[in-house]
Amino acid sequence: MFLFNYRYRLKCIFKDRQLMFWTFLFPILLATLFNLAFANLSSADSFLKVNVAVVQNQELDQNPAFTQAIDGADDLFIVQYTTRAAADALLKDNQIDGYIVFDSDLNLVVNQSGLNQTIIREFLDDFVQSSATLVTIITANPTALDNGILAGVSSRSEYLTAVSASQSNPDPVVNYFYALIAMTCLYGGFLGVKEVVAIQADLSAVGARINLAPTNKLTVFLSSMLAATTIQLLELLILLAFLIGVLGISFGDQLGYIALTCVAGSLTGVTFGACIGSIIKKSEGLKIGILIGSTMIMSFLAGMMSADMKYLVMTRAPILGYLNPANLITDSFYALYYYNTHTQFFTDILLLCGFTLLFSTVTYLVIRRQKYASL
Amino acid sequence: MQVYKAFFKVIQKNRGQILIYLVVFMVLALLLTNTYNPPQNTDFSKVKVNIAFINNDDDSQLVAGLKTYLSENANLVDLPDDTQKLQDALFFREVEYILRVPAGFTEAILGGQDVQLEKTTVPDSTSNVYMDLLINKYLNTAQTYTTYMPGLSQADLTQYLAKDLAEQSEVTMISNGSHSANAEKSGYYFNYLSYSMFAILILGVCSVMLVFNDTDLKRRNLCSPIRSANMNFQMILGNLSFAILTWLVLISASFVMYGSFMFSTPGLLLLLNSFVFTLTALSISYLIGNLVKSRGAMSAVANVFALGTSFISGVFVPQELLGDNVLTIASFTPTYWYIKANNEIAAAVRFNADNLQSIFTSMVLVLTFGVAVLGVTLVLIKQRRVEA
Repeated sequence: MFLFNYRYRLKCIFKDRQLMFWTFLFPILLATLFNLAFANLSSADSFLKVNVAVVQNQELDQNPAFTQAIDGADDLFIVQYTTRAAADALLKDNQIDGYIVFDSDLNLVVNQSGLNQTIIREFLDDFVQSSATLVTIITANPTALDNGILAGVSSRSEYLTAVSASQSNPDPVVNYFYALIAMTCLYGGFLGVKEVVAIQADLSAVGARINLAPTNKLTVFLSSMLAATTIQLLELLILLAFLIGVLGISFGDQLGYIALTCVAGSLTGVTFGACIGSIIKKSEGLKIGILIGSTMIMSFLAGMMSADMKYLVMTRAPILGYLNPANLITDSFYALYYYNTHTQFFTDILLLCGFTLLFSTVTYLVIRRQKYASL
Repeated sequence: MQVYKAFFKVIQKNRGQILIYLVVFMVLALLLTNTYNPPQNTDFSKVKVNIAFINNDDDSQLVAGLKTYLSENANLVDLPDDTQKLQDALFFREVEYILRVPAGFTEAILGGQDVQLEKTTVPDSTSNVYMDLLINKYLNTAQTYTTYMPGLSQADLTQYLAKDLAEQSEVTMISNGSHSANAEKSGYYFNYLSYSMFAILILGVCSVMLVFNDTDLKRRNLCSPIRSANMNFQMILGNLSFAILTWLVLISASFVMYGSFMFSTPGLLLLLNSFVFTLTALSISYLIGNLVKSRGAMSAVANVFALGTSFISGVFVPQELLGDNVLTIASFTPTYWYIKANNEIAAAVRFNADNLQSIFTSMVLVLTFGVAVLGVTLVLIKQRRVEA
């Protein structure tokens, strides 16, 4: 009976085209859209050399030190020497971030306040400030001139060593995809609702027929849920393969743990749906509505619409994060990708198992031993 | 006007689904347009990067001096010295740069020895380059002082540093004319509007078309004593009124939020642009309404269409950030041209022949989409009637 029901439930779910769309095609479509839209998001803040023009005039020729300095900073700037009018035109077309004019003092001309403009400004400030330092030192200690202070000021040493935060790149874009997987897991709730409806005599004709059969209801229900979980897991693995293989989203390299997260997530999702399906006694439309609504709120809090949301919850209301299955799934992937230790990951997985257990117990208590005087 | 009334009765029955999109839009519009603050164009101001400053050395005057210097040029964010918390902050860009001052730092600098500070950054980012410049300059200047003025006290050193590094060069800001913050904010508002407009029109029109295209009902209607031209006229009127009603509801909040701006030239252009888009969205919804067969398919199509076009056309992510390939695909949807016109209206400081021509070209293109789709739909309907 167990296998018989399992096989037929698989068929029933596969044949439900609407269900397959929402639980399978929709996440893949959304992932593709995310990928199209976010492709340039993480490269937007990567450093490109700042385009700057220097206006050629007499004052500039009298300050060879400055020309030397800016030509030396070729890791920062792409410099072009032009006339003032040409520089104005370039700035207007946004071909350059700003231009430098020497008229008695250093002057920077820009048309907006941005990080690139601030870098040019910083470079000019540096030039002015070095002169101030020179003056201060030479006033206090005139012998410094003979000891090569001019060379000393312009020679720079590096005081910073980079230490990476983790073995993985801190790229907030991946979190959108992790939250999307969490949404897919909870959309597995559609399958859970379907299975509960199919086994409850007061909700569907199929349910009424099954309740007549001389079989243990728990056995039938377990095999139904197993069928739903199988399909959910299959859909999730295809989505994961799509994300990694086609879209090239990074998940780290701990495949075993990633699979474990998928299993835990699928179970949580399917039992979540079953729980909603059994508690809410009204129409199937309402059940689906509540399922979609709660999934969307939970995914939002897990950072599916804006990654900052997840950080906000993490820092301001960590409890809310631990009570949100979507966040737990997202966080598991995040911890695997980014953290060096597994403490957070196992906490998340344990809590997910706790939620699965809770949802299953509630479902069991609601649907067991129901008798109907009439249907 | 029985048909017209029936049209709105069907809409009434489906108001739940439609209201969801209305609420989503209002929340999006309120949240996102109010949190967005366009940069002020009048004076140059330094961009300050968010950084975390962690000191493992003693609280010396030099460390304090460095911290003060950084606080003037960057935003110091207070973070606990905990690996995971720091990792999180960097990942979600709460800070973009974490500086750790090692133990023995002050002594090493004063003694002229080599010392390295640890930085944890977003690799290859502009903020990383900028912060490196700032910190290296402070320490190099300190080193110059200790080399050439040996025996300088810590207090004097930090004082000299503070004085020297307060020197600034001149910055002139060429302003492109005054640009109201309302223009950019309302630009965002009208961009989001396209998503809800599509979803609402597709859902509304489809739910009515599903009813009227039901074979039995259609046969019954055809043998009623109302001329088919009259019936079609009422249907068209119903569709148009529904679209215009939706448009009025969706734009209503803009008057509340942006007030008199909506009656200035850019405001009126935004309204005109959204109205043109409404007509095209209606035409596309009408085609979809004639194609879908079930309510399930209806919500799937509405979601896919509204979300899909919005994502690739720059509703949720600005067009500048989208790849060229994506934009090429998007240019085959009216949403792309609608958003393009919106952005141009919002960015324009004053209107001249150049930008007006570009804006109106986009509008005409949007309208052309609408007319073309309507043509296809009419042919489709005609063909079906012949077949039936």
